[in-house]
Amino acid sequence: MARKLPKTDVVIVGGGATGLVAAYELAHADRRCVVIERGPMRRTSPTLQSPEQHDELRYGIRHEHQVDVRRNTLTFRNNRQQRALPMRRLGSFLPGEGVGGSMMHWNGVFWRPLPSDLRLRSHHEERYGRGILDEELTIEDHGVTYDQLEPYFDFSERVFGASGRAGNLRGETREGGNPFEGPRSSEYPNPPLKQHFAGALFEKAARETGAHPFPLPAGNCSQEYRNPYGATLHPCVYCGFCERFGCSYFAKGEPLSAVLGQLEGHESFDLRHECEVLRVDKSADGKTATGVTYVDRGGNEYFQPADLVLLCAYALWNTHLMLVSGLGRPYDPETGEGVVGRNYCYQTMAACNVFFEEGVRTNPFMGAGALGYAIDDFNGDNFDHSELGFIGGGYIGCSQTNGRPIEYNPVPEGTPEWGAQWKRAVRDYYLRHAGLSIHASSVATRHNHLDLDPTYRDHLGRPLLRMTFDFPDNDRRMAAWLVERAEEIARAMERVERYDTENRAAFGKAYTIVPYQTTHNTGGTIMGADPTRSVVNPYCQSWDQHNVFVFGASLFPQNLGYNPTGTLMGLAYWALAAIREDYLQNPRSLVST
Amino acid sequence: MNHAHTIAFGIAGGIVAAGWLADAVQAQSDAAAVGPTPERLFNATIRERPDEDLIAQGRLVAAGGSGAGGAAMACFTCHGADGAGDPAGAVPRLSGLPAWYMYKQLNDYADGSRDSASMTGIARQLSDTEREAVSAYYAMLDSPHPRMPPAGNLRMLQWGQQIAAVGATDRAVPACLSCHGPDGAGLPPSVPYLAGQHAEYIALQLRLFRNGERHNDAMQVMSAIAKKLSDEDIDAIAAYYSRARPVDAAPRADAGQ
Repeated sequence: MARKLPKTDVVIVGGGATGLVAAYELAHADRRCVVIERGPMRRTSPTLQSPEQHDELRYGIRHEHQVDVRRNTLTFRNNRQQRALPMRRLGSFLPGEGVGGSMMHWNGVFWRPLPSDLRLRSHHEERYGRGILDEELTIEDHGVTYDQLEPYFDFSERVFGASGRAGNLRGETREGGNPFEGPRSSEYPNPPLKQHFAGALFEKAARETGAHPFPLPAGNCSQEYRNPYGATLHPCVYCGFCERFGCSYFAKGEPLSAVLGQLEGHESFDLRHECEVLRVDKSADGKTATGVTYVDRGGNEYFQPADLVLLCAYALWNTHLMLVSGLGRPYDPETGEGVVGRNYCYQTMAACNVFFEEGVRTNPFMGAGALGYAIDDFNGDNFDHSELGFIGGGYIGCSQTNGRPIEYNPVPEGTPEWGAQWKRAVRDYYLRHAGLSIHASSVATRHNHLDLDPTYRDHLGRPLLRMTFDFPDNDRRMAAWLVERAEEIARAMERVERYDTENRAAFGKAYTIVPYQTTHNTGGTIMGADPTRSVVNPYCQSWDQHNVFVFGASLFPQNLGYNPTGTLMGLAYWALAAIREDYLQNPRSLVST
Repeated sequence: MNHAHTIAFGIAGGIVAAGWLADAVQAQSDAAAVGPTPERLFNATIRERPDEDLIAQGRLVAAGGSGAGGAAMACFTCHGADGAGDPAGAVPRLSGLPAWYMYKQLNDYADGSRDSASMTGIARQLSDTEREAVSAYYAMLDSPHPRMPPAGNLRMLQWGQQIAAVGATDRAVPACLSCHGPDGAGLPPSVPYLAGQHAEYIALQLRLFRNGERHNDAMQVMSAIAKKLSDEDIDAIAAYYSRARPVDAAPRADAGQ
């Protein structure tokens, strides 16, 4: 029997980026916030300091900052004809666990969506006619526009100290930035990072092919910077330990460096770590949530009543929590009806590995998660799709994230996978490799979805989340086309000895959860303007229980060609503004149905 | 690039992490010529081990000053024949400091980006080769550390050690050893050791970083940190590191034979 605790104004599930930002904003609106986080407490100092933090075996290989799949995992299958099995080792994606969440160990690639990305269905129907969209595609509009979100993108970039160069400042195109991006109301708070040698070669080659390279928008801070919350970010030292690691230097914009230090000690902030939310509880009439029930590390169960419930867990677990709590109608791929679990999407990843001639030194050990150049010419609908047979696209980037000793060992295709020849090849190529990464969109289809597994349970006895996913043919066609674009740039790069390509979404290759691809799982609790096709309304508020708001990439109706963090942080600030400025004064559904 | 110059400099800012691969990293002058301008890159480069001639020349500069004469007096005069420096204040221990780090400091003194009443004039008298040579010379020294200074205030030492190891949590200060290496042994070529450096010198430099008088650190990393430190923090860090000794007090990786 759960012990009932005193009521709080707001209960927040998850102590990651959106959870801590929500706590900051609402505690400063005089609302008592209880944040419940199932992982451990962390602070940049002392928890993330090196040399301990730079332990690649512990964090890079054994994933100690990520979800413990012995306790919480999901089952996976490619399609409904298969039986799903539990994922017992992390691979394709690495959801975070613990205070700071997944953004704590992100690389820092900090994009905004294109204006057309946020009204994807309408945009394509307007530009190409309805025929462009295959019937299988269940892509949607977000229900909120770029112009509405712009001030919140801008603010989140200030909080996390984004470094980059605006390519579109209030409608004026600026040399050296991304000419395809939507208008920015202000310049990046920090200038771009220093660039790496291979990136400079890529930049030159991309320009020669007619593309428009620019520095990747970075959450790795390029200089000393004080954010709007009063936290000081330090300059990045290019140590090459971003993704999978916490930043020792207060240089990566993430919840610990940018938010937590300014929030701890606030009288309205109560953080309970190593406590796991079992379910969201509903009122007798089902029209509101009454709070959450959670279990602490000792197995004690508590009911935390609250006026407002914010779901700020990782995208997959937000969906899981709604399903096990009976919030919203579960999606049924058979009928296409229901919403929770609908439009699960991933990211379509491919690469072109470039090996330079002897004598070129790329010095990969000097890196940062978002250090590099990218082109956006082939992303979204920045190019004509009418004859291509697919929609969507991606950016092609040349970044230098790390040269870490265990996993950074690029060798040309055809090298044996072990033994003397492999070792020789690692030595030969360590200092003369660059990866051109293709980071592309993922369309929603009727088949790819999330639901509850009928067989397997988690350590608390709840059914595991079940993922059904394979790359849609649309994305396979897109990936093949994008690989050719990357090859054109590789051919134009100087002093290249050879290059190899790698396409995760090649025809004939089923998606697999084994090799790491990217931690960009999206959808499941999508936003939209139509309650029969979305879980939350355009203010990220549950259609069914008006005091439940959802945060994070589970809101995305489909995944864009961009890393999701910038988009989801903008959405978080947008929703928080609606909560602060409207909902708290008059709690109700903010969109009448 | 002049082959006689054993320590080459690909220029730029973000050289902080190069450290242990110094020997492996080679000059990229030819590669740089193909397009990107060098100032946009961040390659710290060291070509090969210093040769005997360079060390001999470095010893001459250390003992006798610049070949050009003038204000560049012998380094020995203040820093000592063994590079031990002077615990009294402004004169650091040089023995075993990374060569590249010292060469950069001499260049910075000469061009005014690090200001010093005594060192600016001296560095300006030295030729480029002399700066390299004397840096290589002091880098290869492995002088014994001076006798341990008195422990003094143990609470202060403990606070210094804590900042060194995990930072100052309440002010978001990162640990010194996140960059300066385990035990404060330094990370060549660009990050100097702190262990065994004179307390007065460490404290003075932190205060100079804090008030902006010293600003030749890559990307102003040290300035950002020093601004968050109180006088007590600075004295504690300095006291701790002046008493710390690297576990393996071997010469630096790039220190030569």
